[in-house]
This record gives sequence, C-alpha cells and structure tokens, in this order.
Amino acid sequence: MSAATKPAEGRTTLQAIFAFLKNNPIFVAIAVLAIVTSVREPKFLTTENLDNIVRQFGVLIFAALGMTFVIMAGFIDLSIGGIISLVAVVTVTLIDKVGQGPAILIGLSVGLGCGLLNSALILTSGALTQAESLFITYGMSLVFGAVALMYTQGVTQFLTYSSSDISIFNAINSGGFGPLSVSAIMFIVALGILYTIERRTYMGRAVVLTGGNKVAARLAGIPISRSIVLIYGVSGLMSAIGAVVLVSRVTLADPTMGGPWMTQAILAVVVGGTALIGGRGSVLWTVFGALLLILLNNCLNLWEVSSYVQFMLRGVILILAIWLDTAKQNSVSK
Amino acid sequence: MRDVTRSLKSVLALQKAFLAILLVLIAMAVFNLFPATNSQFFSQPNFIDLLKSSSIVLILAMGETVVLIAAGVDLSIGGMMALAGVVVLQMINGGVPIPAAILLTLLLGLVVGAINAFISVYQKAEPFIITLGMGIALTGIGQHLTNAHPVTSSVQDFANIANFEILGPVPILVVFMLVVVGAIYWMLRTTSFGRNVYAVGGDYDVAKYSGINVLRTKAATYLICAFTASLAGIMLASQLNSASSIAGDNTPLYVVCAVVVGGTSVAGGVGGAIKSAIGLILLGLLTNAFQMLRIDSLVSYLPQGLLGVIIVSILWLDSYGRKRRREAV
Repeated sequence: MSAATKPAEGRTTLQAIFAFLKNNPIFVAIAVLAIVTSVREPKFLTTENLDNIVRQFGVLIFAALGMTFVIMAGFIDLSIGGIISLVAVVTVTLIDKVGQGPAILIGLSVGLGCGLLNSALILTSGALTQAESLFITYGMSLVFGAVALMYTQGVTQFLTYSSSDISIFNAINSGGFGPLSVSAIMFIVALGILYTIERRTYMGRAVVLTGGNKVAARLAGIPISRSIVLIYGVSGLMSAIGAVVLVSRVTLADPTMGGPWMTQAILAVVVGGTALIGGRGSVLWTVFGALLLILLNNCLNLWEVSSYVQFMLRGVILILAIWLDTAKQNSVSK
Repeated sequence: MRDVTRSLKSVLALQKAFLAILLVLIAMAVFNLFPATNSQFFSQPNFIDLLKSSSIVLILAMGETVVLIAAGVDLSIGGMMALAGVVVLQMINGGVPIPAAILLTLLLGLVVGAINAFISVYQKAEPFIITLGMGIALTGIGQHLTNAHPVTSSVQDFANIANFEILGPVPILVVFMLVVVGAIYWMLRTTSFGRNVYAVGGDYDVAKYSGINVLRTKAATYLICAFTASLAGIMLASQLNSASSIAGDNTPLYVVCAVVVGGTSVAGGVGGAIKSAIGLILLGLLTNAFQMLRIDSLVSYLPQGLLGVIIVSILWLDSYGRKRRREAV
C-alpha cells in the first residue's frame, strides 16, 4: 500500500478512485472477501459473527501494532508469543494475591521488561541486521515460554476460579459505552498514541529512518540505540496489552497460549503493506492488514476448512505477501 | 585428518566461554555433583545414543552450513524434515516400493528447495521470512496429510535402512552421516562450486563482478539444503519407523545455533563442514550433560528455557564478535 494518490488535473473522481484502489489492493481484497463470504454464507452477516470478528481483531491488533514499529525500523520480534504467554499467566495468578488492578499493572510491566531485555541484548551485541534480531528474539521466545511453564508448572490458570473481583476483565470482555466496546476504545486510544508517535514525534521519524538505511541513519546522527529501545519496549508493552485482552476473552491463561499470535502479528503487518526490510510503513496500514487476516480466518472457519489447511495457508500467505512486496519494490527501483 | 585437527583448534579457540560451561557441566555429570542423580555420562549406551541422535541433526546441519556460508538462511528445514518423513512413510504404507518412495521424497525436497531459491534468490525476497513461511506451510501440509496423528509403518526393510547394526551397536545411519559430511566437505574444499559459495557469501558484489554466476550459486545452496533436510527426514522416519508432522518444531534454530558454535557466521563467507560437525557435537554434549544431570527433574521445563538461553548467548556472541571487528577496522 503506497501513499494515497492525489487526483490529477483532468481526471474524474472515478478515475482517481480506481487509481487509489490499484495502489491499495488491500481494500479490494477486504471488500471482495466480505462480499463473497456474505453471499455464499448468510451466517457471515449475523450480529454474532460480526461480534466474533471484532473480538478476534481485538487480540491480534495490539500485538500487530507493536510489531509494526519493530518491522518499520528494520528489525523483527519473534518473542511476542512467549511474552503473551508469560504476561497472561503472571496476571491471572497474581489476581488473588494483589488484586486485579495491580495484577494487570504488574503484567504490563513484565511485558515492557521483556521488551526492554530484548532491546538490551540486541544493543549490546551490536546486531544490525534483521536476521540477527530474528535469532536473538527467537531464543528469547523460548526463554519467556519456559519461564511461563516453570512458573505455572504447565498448569492452565482459570480466571473464573479466582475468588477476587475480576470486574476489569469482565469489562474488557463485554463492557462498553454505547456501540463501542471497551476493547474497541482501548484499540482506538492505542492506535491514536502510536500514530502520533509515528507521524508527529522525532523518535517516530527516527524509527522509520533507522529502517530506511541503518548506516546512513547513524552517520546522520539519528539515535539508533534509542530507536531500538523504543521499538522493542513498545512491542513488549503492546503484546502485554494483547495478553490482558486475550485473558479477558478466553477467561484462562495457558503457558503456551501465545504461540500462534507471533506469525499472525507479522502477517498482519506485512499484509498491511509495511515493508519487511524497514523504512516504509504505518500502524494505520496494519489495522487493515489485521482486518483482512481476521476476515480470512472467519471465512475459512465458516466454510469449515480444516485448521491444518488454515495453518498451511498462513505460511503460503506470508510467502506471497513478501514476494509480491519485494517484486513491487524491485520494479520501483528499476 | 590435518584439517580436522585444525578445525577443532579453531572452534575451541573461538568458543572459550562455551567450552568452560561445557566442561563444568561434564565434570558435574561425571562426579555426580548433583544429589540424587546417578549419571552414566561415560557409558557406551550413552555415547551410542548421542551418536544416533546427532547423526540426523548432522545431516541437516551440513545443508544449513552451505546456505549460511553463502550468506543465506533456510528456516524451512524443520518443516521439510517432518514432511519428508510423513510422505515417505505414507507412500511405503500405500505400497510404493521403498527405493521409489525414497527417490520421490528426495525429489519433493528438491522442489521445495527450488521454490525457496526462486523466491529468495531470483526474486530477492528476505530468505529468512520466506523460509519461515515455507516451514509453516510444510508443517501445515504434513498435518493435513496425517490429521496431526503420528504415522507408523511395519515394513522392516525400511526400518533397516537406518537401524541395521554394522559394527557392534553402531548403526548404518552413522555411515550415511559420514558420507554426507564427507561429500559436503569435499564439495566446499575442492570444487570450484565450493569456492564460489565462499566468494558469494564473503562479498556478493565482488563475486558478481569477478564473473561468478552468483544467482545460480546461491540457488544451488538452497537446493542442497532442502535435499539434506529431506534425507534427514527419511532417515528419522526409518530410525523410528514412524513420523510426526511436528517433528521439526525447534530444529531450524537449534541447527543454526550449532553451526554458529562451529564458527560459521550468520553473515556468511566463513565456516566449513567439519567445523559445523564439531559445533553440533559440542552442543549435543551440552544437551546430553543436562539430561544426564537430570536437571529437568528438578524443574521440569528448564531444558526448553536453557536451549533458549544457549541460542541467545551464542548468537549474541556471534553478533558481538562482528561488532568488535567492525569497530577495529
């Protein structure tokens, strides 16, 4: 997805719309998917199903928004699966001990701490390529996952078993003001903050420039180290928020529950159009990437495609998205 | 033989910290420093076990070494290994003659390698995400074929391919492994293709302007890697006479980690077959020492975490070494 095209002199509005859609095929994909699914499967447009889509979107979007910053800066974070698992079990087990508010705060701090630990490892090792950050964060993913397993001894923790007040979790799951659910409000606030950081602050520009060309950014005096701390901190914190939303929705915390969200988050970012090589992207695009993915999952579920085939398709879509994006970049640079 | 000693020396010099940890652990295992553990580290069954379990990973590591030297990376080897095992066993169960089943599975490996090579070399997409996606897709295909159940076979001839004991308790699998290591060593050290692989990984542009067909060389490394991965899958299926679609879950990163311990860098240009083999044996010894110490019975989920810590520290050191060299220049 490239920048919106301005209507040129002499072009009708219709031509301008066509040009816009040609440059931003994701909207076409979303529309086609929604129309095809609603025609073939009337269940698609029921309130229950739409509600289901919004809820699934609610968990994925937080992790994907954080991941956007990491990928825009030309790095990658494979540890978010481990972070989501760890934050989920820490939060749920602490409710009975310290109460729900502090438990959530501690959970979010754990997520932030994990992110900062990643950034410390990457900074001290001087890793500059995406491949190096991939290996280090993958190892950390195993570490976080193992800590979660050791902490719980592999036992699933049920939110509903806790004797204390869990009203915040209930509110996140089902509460709302008018038509807006609490998780939708959280999403809008998070998107607003991250979009402002990305577009209006010095650090936001620094993150994008770091992704554009690390050597040039360093020579131009861009604070690369601070960018790295920022992106992994944001990624850890956003995954932690995603974990809290996930826990509220499924009312349990499992030490391996974070696993699938890692590929999903990367997919949402890349399908949205943020370049994997860094330097180009936006949290706004990720929103549409996540929407497309959730719609696709929903439509495959409605058509009763087996979960193994869906798993396979995820890999295929990842390959196709990156291949097409690279092909587009190559044709632009020629 | 001289090259083996030289490689051993260079790996030992490179991984001092790692060796220190390893020696402490082995000492602990040998002298039973943990209470309530009765270690059998220095026993023949343990070493035979170690040899058997290392052989399959060694075959995988040989292909990965070639790709890493050419400054690429292949994270689909886990999915490829698992799928190859599933496919070969299902074909044999379906009545396909064993040699034909093996040839078709190796061909499947080459096809997957060709797809990896086409997208990441000729289309210039990031190889690690492409191959990560390929690994997910291959695992999904394996799960779809088997409904995520393990596949078993009762064909004894197929089981004999890896398990036939040739020298006391040493199985023929070890011979296959030595042949693969020897072939990759010979290819990297004596053929012009091998020299080209180092040149492409060392400096892509210089290699290109020296008239090396860089694209074809890099593409060939992916084919070799997928081929060894499918060979490893067939061997694993034969060794266990069963196959599971999720057998290769953490394998790619473990293999990359072992290859890096041996002195091959993820940035490309350096490394070698013997070095990777030594790195893998060192890492295998470490995991084995952990198991012998029964650390896992003290805290049941420690091994996974320790694997993570080891991967992080080894790759951290690899990056850190490059940073130091960059600053020295």
